[in-house]
Amino acid sequence: MAQLKQKFKSLQNLIQKQPDSQKATKSPELEVNVTSAELTAEAVVVKEKAPVYDPQVDQEILDSIEKDYFDSQQFDASLFELEKLPEVGESLELGQIDSDRQRLRGQLQAVSKKVSDLVLQNHSAFVDELHRVIDLQESLQTATVVCKNGRRQLSSAKERFTTASLGLLANYKKRQKLVGLLNSMSTIKTLQRTDIRLREMLEEEDYPGAIQLCLECQKAASTFRHYKCISELSSKLQDTLEMIEEQLDVALSKTCGNFDMKYYDKVQTAYRLLGKTQTAMDQLHMHFTSAVHNTAFTIVLGYVELTAATSGSNFQKRQYNDLCKNVTPETFTSCLIDLCKALWEVMKSYHQTMEWHEQKDKSLEESGSGSTNVDAHFTRRYVKQKLEHGLSRIWGDVQQKVKTYILSTDLSYFKFDEFIDVLDIINRLIMIGEEFCGSKSEGLQDSIRKQSVNYFRNYHRARMDELKMFLENEAWQLCPVKANFSIMQLQEFKFLRSHAQQQRNIIATPTQSPEHTVPTNRPNYGFFTKFDNSSPFDLPAQEDEDEEKEDVMATNGYMEDRQLSVDSESDEDIPEELKQDFVDEQTGELPVKRPTKLPKSHSGSLKRQTKLGPVLTNTTLNVIRLIGKYAQMMSVLKPIAFDVIICMSQIFDYYLYTIYSFFGIDLGDVNELSLSNKLRTTLKRIKDNLIYEEQQVTPTTPGVPTVPTAEEKKDKFGQPYLSGMVDLSVRESLYGLAARVVAAESLVFLAEQFEYLQPTLDNMIPQAKKAFLQQFYSQTVTTAVEIRKPVYRTVAAKSIDYENLFNLMATTVKWDIKDIMSQHSSYVDRLLQEFHAFNSRLQEVSRRVPIPKVVEHILWEYCIRLSNRTFVEGYASAKKCTNEGRALMQLDFQQFLMKLEKLTDLRPIPDREYVEAYIKAYYLPEAQLELWVKDHREYSVKQLVSIVNCVDHKNKKARQRLINSIEETWNRR
Amino acid sequence: MSETYNFLFKFLVIGSAGTGKSCILHQFIENKFKEDSNHTIGVEFGSKVVNVGGKSVKLQIWDTAGQERFRSVTRSYYRGAAGALLVYDITSRETYNALTNWLTDARTLASPNIVIVLVGNKKDLEQEREVTFLEASRFAQENELLFLETSALTGENVEETFLKCARSILTKIESGELDPERMGSGIQYGDASLRRLNRQNTSTKRPDCQC
Repeated sequence: MAQLKQKFKSLQNLIQKQPDSQKATKSPELEVNVTSAELTAEAVVVKEKAPVYDPQVDQEILDSIEKDYFDSQQFDASLFELEKLPEVGESLELGQIDSDRQRLRGQLQAVSKKVSDLVLQNHSAFVDELHRVIDLQESLQTATVVCKNGRRQLSSAKERFTTASLGLLANYKKRQKLVGLLNSMSTIKTLQRTDIRLREMLEEEDYPGAIQLCLECQKAASTFRHYKCISELSSKLQDTLEMIEEQLDVALSKTCGNFDMKYYDKVQTAYRLLGKTQTAMDQLHMHFTSAVHNTAFTIVLGYVELTAATSGSNFQKRQYNDLCKNVTPETFTSCLIDLCKALWEVMKSYHQTMEWHEQKDKSLEESGSGSTNVDAHFTRRYVKQKLEHGLSRIWGDVQQKVKTYILSTDLSYFKFDEFIDVLDIINRLIMIGEEFCGSKSEGLQDSIRKQSVNYFRNYHRARMDELKMFLENEAWQLCPVKANFSIMQLQEFKFLRSHAQQQRNIIATPTQSPEHTVPTNRPNYGFFTKFDNSSPFDLPAQEDEDEEKEDVMATNGYMEDRQLSVDSESDEDIPEELKQDFVDEQTGELPVKRPTKLPKSHSGSLKRQTKLGPVLTNTTLNVIRLIGKYAQMMSVLKPIAFDVIICMSQIFDYYLYTIYSFFGIDLGDVNELSLSNKLRTTLKRIKDNLIYEEQQVTPTTPGVPTVPTAEEKKDKFGQPYLSGMVDLSVRESLYGLAARVVAAESLVFLAEQFEYLQPTLDNMIPQAKKAFLQQFYSQTVTTAVEIRKPVYRTVAAKSIDYENLFNLMATTVKWDIKDIMSQHSSYVDRLLQEFHAFNSRLQEVSRRVPIPKVVEHILWEYCIRLSNRTFVEGYASAKKCTNEGRALMQLDFQQFLMKLEKLTDLRPIPDREYVEAYIKAYYLPEAQLELWVKDHREYSVKQLVSIVNCVDHKNKKARQRLINSIEETWNRR
Repeated sequence: MSETYNFLFKFLVIGSAGTGKSCILHQFIENKFKEDSNHTIGVEFGSKVVNVGGKSVKLQIWDTAGQERFRSVTRSYYRGAAGALLVYDITSRETYNALTNWLTDARTLASPNIVIVLVGNKKDLEQEREVTFLEASRFAQENELLFLETSALTGENVEETFLKCARSILTKIESGELDPERMGSGIQYGDASLRRLNRQNTSTKRPDCQC
């Protein structure tokens, strides 16, 4: 093939070297682009045609071309021809080869020619076609570019629009999600920060806010449940909530000590938010209970540690009871006050808590919102009931604490005022308790009673011993006091005035507080309304009474000042209206009206007596003071008022008995006759019950007398002895009349004071015991005035020598005279002399001691009665009597009466009838005498027999019969 | 009474009105100043057990009214007093001048062996002083009195006064100068049985007594 190609190439070169060829216009490109087969054929054609041109011949030549040449496939012309050559063994004939070469050249030329013709024939079409192909090629190329551009632009368009916006959308969506997440995150962050805020709020004690916040947080947290971090947060929130509750509990406990409306409001709101209002109530009660305990403990502990600083023992761990025993008596009262104050604060807080709830309920009812919610309504009822119930429990606790405290100290050696202070405090506490929950405070009453009885027993014994000492030192001198002296002027009695005042105050200030419109059985003393900021135990009893006290003091001081200034002068210079003022004030203040009370029985004498001023001794004054103290005790110590009354009556009994034993029995039994049965019984009762007899105790060993047993001493007191200062034996001083008057009249004065106090005392003791008081008054106080009889009778009996009178009558006078005498007998003068002496001595005494008219009359009465009895006795001693003698008797007696009436203003002369009737009986006819004898039992047998014997107109028989009947009737008696 | 004691001394407090007798007594017994003091009416009483030289002595103190009008009442309490506090007011010469009269009264009415302490009260009112310490102590010396200045307000020397008086009496008893058994000595043995013995003696003696 390569040989062929070489041949073809040389052919081609031949063609190109032919400058004159028609193929000059032929483009080189065309030649290049012709297929090798075509070109080969062309070249062949060109070479064959060139020398001869005959179409016919050409055709024949062409037809002679072997078929194999047209087989375009795998045809190698050279090879084909070479194979036709004979085998190498035969001889190659040049001529054959040349003829074959000629024939092949001719064939080639013919083919070339044919091809060239065909080419020439088809050249324009070919060119045209080529043009068109080129055109097509060109347009195709353009189309490609357009297409390419379009594709490019399309893809960019696709790039720009679709992908961007979708990305945008996707991003947007993502952003939204992220924003949501951010919010959640920030919320969670806030939630986490809330904790701090919550703490702050707790510090600010804004519990409702804190709880609200916390609850909101929890709610929020639950919406973020899907976050992992939330579970931790919500558990933390739960913790916080619990912490808040704890703090709230602490806050609740704080309200126990010092109630603050706003604060409590907060706490309650907080509990409501928690939905634990009921629990809160239970907690609150628990807190109150522990508050009571803790307060009591702390206060007592404080005092104990204060006083026992040296001992160094640990009191912190002691029991309360034990602790109380360590309080010293010196600090007892102040500790009690502090204890009461502190407990009062707790109770006040409780009270205010109730008040708060009541107001809340009310406002709820008013707003009408309360009725809708059944649950809330139930809770409110629960709270209310719980609170109502708690009242008595709290009070019980308080009471128990105070009771324990009180009973653990022995108060019996306290000073009276101190003890009263203590009682006053406790009583105030009882009143508070009563207002607090209507309690009767049995515990406190009981402790008061125990302590009081104990104290009072001690106190009374000491006072009685003191009274005995006073009586034994008493010289029965008149203690000068003002004419209008009243026991109310004494400090010991000022409490009666302030007492009355106080009672009125309490009544006058019924509280305007609305919370007590609910009917309760509690009295309203207004403690819970009056003492808003202070406590009723501030400065015990003084806050209220300060004013009062000053007032009393002023009056008292004034009176005593007057006494001082008036001292040696008379009382007249006191302006009447001042006295009046005082009295008015008194009656105004007092529960009893004195003026109406006193002058009932002894009107006449008393009037004078008040002018003179009351007769009393130093001892009387002390007794009165003592009575005042006792009465004061009764008013403070109601539970033992009766015991006090008994002791008070003992004081009076003792005084009465002492006066009697000093001044009433110095004549011995004789004098007992002058005692009324009532007084005798009373005195006997006193002696049996109150006085222990030292004589009863027989000294077993001389010099060592047995001590009276405790039993004996328990309620009995020693017999007092009259002071050696008092001498009752001097006739000139009428046997100590001055002392007797002072003593007896002081007793009468004392009795009057008792009568004056009766209504007051009566008010103070329980109904059941009033009978005792009545008995005491009717048997003892009212009979006291009768003590005058034995006391003055002694004087009367000693002052006149009746014995001598009788002797004179019996020895110096003859009654069987025959002449009417014009001159009375001398014994009358003698008697009158004695009476004169008596009178002047009486005057003498009355210059030193005011002798009340009534006493004077009693003295005169006794003297006259005794004289008159002596007269009758003397007349009865006449064995014989004449009419003239009887006349003398009359004359003598008339003389006596006449003179006597000048000495005394006592009218009628006592026992005048007694004497006169006896004298005149002599004149009676027989029958009448018999009747007279029977009717007049006041004369003795001797006297009656004597008169029967004297009458001379009787026959002996009748006389004897009469005497017998007299003796008989007397014996029968 | 529950307290036990070796001796009982009867004491008197005398002196002019307003010198502070009751306040001294109150201060002695209650250990505090009596603010709202009124004039004493008649005689008042107080008692306290003190310890003197190892012996417990019960002081039975009669506080007398200083006012003239009560003189008759108060005089009756002089009898049988073992000791007396004669009180004057250092700010009032008048009360000092009256001392002689009070002293005469006490010496004549009370037992002759009575121990008297001169007491210048109101020591706290130094500015208003009218009687010098020297002058009063000279007076005390001349009249054989013990002497102290006191203040019932501050309590200064109050207890000391009573103790001094009691001590002096006790010394006299121990030296035999005073006989507690003697009537009207103002001294009693505190032992219960002895006291009772005493009582019986006195009660039997009394009727014969001509005083």
